[in-house]
Amino acid sequence: MEHSGSFFDFVFSHISQFLSYTAIANMTVGHVIMILIGLIFIYLAIAKEYEPMLLIPIGFGILVGNIAFYPGLQIGIYESGSVLNYLYFGVLNGIYPPLIFLGIGAMTDFSALISNPKLMLIGAAAQLGIFGAYAIALALGFSPAEAGAIGIIGGADGPTAIFLSSKLAPELMGAIAISAYSYMALVPVIQPPVMKLLTNKKERLIRMKPPRTVSKIEKIAFPIAGLLLTCFLVPSGLPLLGMLFFGNLLKESTVTKRLADTAKGPMIDIVTILIGLTVGASTQATTFLTAKSVGIFVLGAFSFIIATFGGVMFVKFLNLFLKEGNKINPLIGNAGVSAVPDSARVSQVVGLQYDKTNHLLMHAMGPNVAGVIGSAVAAGVLLSFLY
Amino acid sequence: MRNSINRIIAGIALVWLGGSLNHLQAQSALDLRINEFLVYNDSNYVDDFGEHNPWIEIYNSAYNTVNIGGCYLTNDLNNPTMYYIPKGQNVTKIPQQGYLVFYADGHETRGIQHLNFSLEESKLIALFESNGKTLIDSITIPKGQKVDVTFGRIEDGSVVWDFLEKATPVANNQTKIKITSAEIIGQMDPTGIGMAVIAMTIVFSGLLLLYLFFKYMAKVWMRDRKKSKSITPDLLQVETETDEISGEVNAAIALALYLYRVQLHDTEAAVLTISKVSKTYSPWSSKIYGLRKNPR
Repeated sequence: MEHSGSFFDFVFSHISQFLSYTAIANMTVGHVIMILIGLIFIYLAIAKEYEPMLLIPIGFGILVGNIAFYPGLQIGIYESGSVLNYLYFGVLNGIYPPLIFLGIGAMTDFSALISNPKLMLIGAAAQLGIFGAYAIALALGFSPAEAGAIGIIGGADGPTAIFLSSKLAPELMGAIAISAYSYMALVPVIQPPVMKLLTNKKERLIRMKPPRTVSKIEKIAFPIAGLLLTCFLVPSGLPLLGMLFFGNLLKESTVTKRLADTAKGPMIDIVTILIGLTVGASTQATTFLTAKSVGIFVLGAFSFIIATFGGVMFVKFLNLFLKEGNKINPLIGNAGVSAVPDSARVSQVVGLQYDKTNHLLMHAMGPNVAGVIGSAVAAGVLLSFLY
Repeated sequence: MRNSINRIIAGIALVWLGGSLNHLQAQSALDLRINEFLVYNDSNYVDDFGEHNPWIEIYNSAYNTVNIGGCYLTNDLNNPTMYYIPKGQNVTKIPQQGYLVFYADGHETRGIQHLNFSLEESKLIALFESNGKTLIDSITIPKGQKVDVTFGRIEDGSVVWDFLEKATPVANNQTKIKITSAEIIGQMDPTGIGMAVIAMTIVFSGLLLLYLFFKYMAKVWMRDRKKSKSITPDLLQVETETDEISGEVNAAIALALYLYRVQLHDTEAAVLTISKVSKTYSPWSSKIYGLRKNPR
């Protein structure tokens, strides 16, 4: 009888110990909120097809990161020695973003930009969103380094945002990455009202000259000249710009097809999976749900609006100096943010609403890819000033 | 006009030359610096034998690990190979922006960090490369050295030397509150407008350079094509004409080719017909093939 009593004690004590290890016992309201956010991401990705390649890994990563656990078992992403912590190393040390840029370079056709090089300037103008958000963040009491990391959301470039925030404000990286990717997915919702507000009907109907054919030599020269001209000016942008232009040379040289195929295929897919899942998992409620994160989300929306404003208004300004027939449709100004190709698609969709035969997609791809370069240069500038 | 262009080019060249001379980074033993030393150690840093001896701190200013093994420390420029720092030791590997302390006590039998000369009898300290000829760094010990007060660079690796308020062996010489560049920007430009103007100018400049390059490259390209067209009208005409086809036409041709290739098959698609076979017997309907044979 005495033996059976101690046996039951043993069973009960171990069951209660087991229960203390379960997620239910360690769950907080924050975890529930984050799991709901993760489920919303997954819903948006599957049902609405908003950036599914990003939102599925991030959404599922949020679920993974918010299963509450007993600390010290080397499970969580912030616990040294855990598998997730090893995978997160690539994010923390800015390894994944340049690899993604390599793939982007290998899959991007810069022909639209080369055929009409003045579109590059729109890609620069749209970076106003970064510095607008930087100024607002400073006004809200964020430190300059934090403000710089938050401002980069306006570049609408996930890898760049992760790269810069990992250097300037690692503790805010999860919120910044989630905010950047969320608003990139919401580009079709955020940009059209701003574009319509800033343009009149006559401007929306401007027809642009079809782009000229671009020679192979020009295509090969682009990544080489692009690297030398931008990185001599901003060497701190080298990890991103170097990989972007290298990837593009692999594609355009046409003699390294296998390498280009790997860069734009399996490699970028692997890195996207790793970066999406780990960034999602880094949103552990205990470290993520703070007033700062909420502020970052609000600032992210502002930065996208300011970026769109900058791009559209710059095109209108440029048109003052261009002859009739050479004018640019300001509806492609929004594409200066580097959300490729979503913002270019927005230009096309809004343009078709006013003229069913005016296809702006090809023209919008120019500022869109210029935006990728512009945001990487802007990140380099912020890094050299604030790091 | 030409003169002013020449001046601009000369200015850029000077800036480049000055910059490159200022920032020579060897990422090797040449990046090592004598950073701080203490001549009279009464109650200061204790060595690994629990004694107070004079010491010299070496600083690695590079952003990679540098091995000081194989180099020489001396207090006499006429005898550059006075103390050989042994190779193949882990302790001689100085991490990036890291430090290593040598004890100048004249007791070289106590370990590789103990030198065979004493600072109390020295007038200078010099570090030579492994060839025993290339001087990496040297410092003349000023007269009037104080007890337990170190003499060092006011910031790690900087050119200005002075008596330091705190002895900092194996640590940063800068012990006062240091304001980061981000904090300075925050103080000087609290609204962020200055940063926005400067940064947007740089971003515009970068993309403007690209714009100008491709604008003029396109012009040169078009001019060359026109030239070649006029020289060999018959042979190259066909080639240049195809180059001028607009993107839409190319897209239509590409689509047509794609559809054509997609519709090509190695074998024609099979045609299934359902009609009665005139022959009444068919292996398909034979009962012989439908029955299982008994095992033997």
